Amino acid sequence: MTQFDALCANDPELSELRTAIREFLAADRDQHGWEPAVDSWLATWDADFSARLAEAGFVGLTIPTEYGGHGLGHLHRYVVTEELLAHGAPVAAHWFSDRQFAPSLLSYGSDEQRREFLPVIAAGKLHAAIGMSEHDAGSDLAAVKTRASQVDGGWSLSGTKVWTSGAHLAHRIVVLARTSPLDPEHRHAGFSQFFVKLDSPGITIDPIVQMGGEHHFNEVTFDDVFVPDADVLGSIGDGWRQVTSELGFERSGPERILSTVTLIVAAIKALPDDADDGTAAAVGELVARMISLRQLSISVARTLASGEDAATRAALVKDLGTRFEQDSVELAADLLDRLDASAPEARRLAELLATARLHSPLFTLRGGTNEVLRGVVARGMGVR
Amino acid sequence: MNELEQLVADIGARSLEARQGRPAYPDAFDEQLWKNLEETGLSRLTSSEDAGPEEAAVVLTGLAKHAAAVPIVETDLLAVWLAAKAGLDVPETGPLTVAAADAELRDGSLVGTAYDVPWPHSVAVVLAARTPEALHVGLLSDAPTAESVNLAGEPRATFAFEVEASTTQTLDVEVADELTRRGAWARCVQIIGALDAARDLTVAHTSERVQFGRPLAKFQAVQHSLAEMAGEIERARAATELAIVAATDFGFNSAATDYAVTVAKVATGRAVGSVTTIAHQLHGAIGATVEHRLWLFTMRARGWIDDFGTTGHYARRLGRIALTADDPWQVVVSCPEPR
Repeated sequence: MTQFDALCANDPELSELRTAIREFLAADRDQHGWEPAVDSWLATWDADFSARLAEAGFVGLTIPTEYGGHGLGHLHRYVVTEELLAHGAPVAAHWFSDRQFAPSLLSYGSDEQRREFLPVIAAGKLHAAIGMSEHDAGSDLAAVKTRASQVDGGWSLSGTKVWTSGAHLAHRIVVLARTSPLDPEHRHAGFSQFFVKLDSPGITIDPIVQMGGEHHFNEVTFDDVFVPDADVLGSIGDGWRQVTSELGFERSGPERILSTVTLIVAAIKALPDDADDGTAAAVGELVARMISLRQLSISVARTLASGEDAATRAALVKDLGTRFEQDSVELAADLLDRLDASAPEARRLAELLATARLHSPLFTLRGGTNEVLRGVVARGMGVR
Repeated sequence: MNELEQLVADIGARSLEARQGRPAYPDAFDEQLWKNLEETGLSRLTSSEDAGPEEAAVVLTGLAKHAAAVPIVETDLLAVWLAAKAGLDVPETGPLTVAAADAELRDGSLVGTAYDVPWPHSVAVVLAARTPEALHVGLLSDAPTAESVNLAGEPRATFAFEVEASTTQTLDVEVADELTRRGAWARCVQIIGALDAARDLTVAHTSERVQFGRPLAKFQAVQHSLAEMAGEIERARAATELAIVAATDFGFNSAATDYAVTVAKVATGRAVGSVTTIAHQLHGAIGATVEHRLWLFTMRARGWIDDFGTTGHYARRLGRIALTADDPWQVVVSCPEPR
């Protein structure tokens, strides 16, 4: 194996996996007819696809085999994830359970919880939502007011979560709540995590409709919802550390670079091979940004996979990657402008572009705003 | 820091300290530094020691962090290598350089002009004259026809030449491509060092400089600019690291290195603009004077990035690769086959 291939996440084993997922996606698309989407990890929910993907062995890659997973490494998951995004596959249904809930269970879950949930996640059949933000707790997550108070056999949960992707379709929601009153001296203390059934009595789910009419986000209200002790995730009082300690993979992953990749690749494909120099330069600038960001993202993934700290560089990837995603929309629009408007693919590309424009404001907001991330980077540079 | 990194850092730091006793502009060859590099074997590390691109990159980055005024790239990676390819004898010590140019063959003579030849007063100038059919390699003995400096004040010169083709060695044109690729690779590696130094100076300055009663670095707007600067550098570094391992794994004469250098040249080129702009903005006007060190790094980076092909040139090349690929995504994921 060459170091070059390792740095591109293409060493023989990963390369084989890459070929396998591409073959699966081509065959699945042929048979089931889904169209590659922009921002598919938020936008396209398809429970049947998630089950088929899992059946073929591409979900729960990092979950140990004893819990029904594949016992593979983070770079295996990286390769599969980037290929899913590059092909615009409808991955939203299993996305959060595979990406966030499974790692949380592996780090903090009880053995009973792992046995109960991990095999279902690996089967692509557990759809989870993440309940973090609230009306008054956006970038300032420690301002969360949702409370859980101890009752007989469990906890009673009250409060309201917002921007909860897929809550109207998911089975469960991971809720960050206060289990002790706010101590202004220690704002991060007293939080806990709960894994709540979304059909529990006392839960109301209201859509938050996006500009353009799409419905992905929800407002989820908990009114004295009973959560059994068995559904406490990790330790009571340790919630803040649990939600913040493993942000590296999430911040530096391929989804922070590739939300618009289907649009970019389709635009380049639609252009003639012998396009003029100006077009070639525009394509080259776009591709160079993608490649260099991907190399940085893989370099962070390799550091994290070896158990080392890369918090600052992970925050850098998210800041740079999501700004690239945003810039890429108008750069792709400029490429499409060079196309013959009557070309057969022009209509479909115009649709992808429209979706990208509607989604692009979210790229630099979700999972922590870029302003907050730059603060993290500045702290890493020793000036904050 | 490994042993080599430490050695380079020590030698570089001494050179940077000694700069204070020299005129600031234009820059001049640093004889003491060169002597130190020769004594430690670093001046011809890849051409005479058992070292490859990875070690060369350590030396180039480390020296660029200290604004070393010596033709280390030109000597070790270009002139000695090219002379060996052509079977030409060049002096075993002393700095060397290469004059690369397109040339015409007229009545048995190679005629052309080499512009922006770096460090023209080196002990030997190896001519790399490219015609559509071949690369002609020989030694130039005439004095430069014109002298100039690059943005950082490093010496450059023009050589208008007319030499008997029979006095040169004829090589495949692919060697000319490799020469350019080696040069472009080396400039990316050097620029990373220069940008690192510019960032360190900027962090230090904004941490010390007090305005409105607090250090500049305590202002959020300044912190965000610093973060942006760090991001651009890390992105360029990631691309350059791929170019370094490509050259280590496959050599400079390979499709993989060509691919990685093309990407690195564009990524680094774009980082240079943004990083130097932020570094100067955060330093205020003092940063744009000869009495401050910042320009030693920012203007080297800005000058170097145009060597061996501009950012736009490499962007067009990469664009063509993507436009003609069956699947542009595969161009993102790795160097397209065949390598």
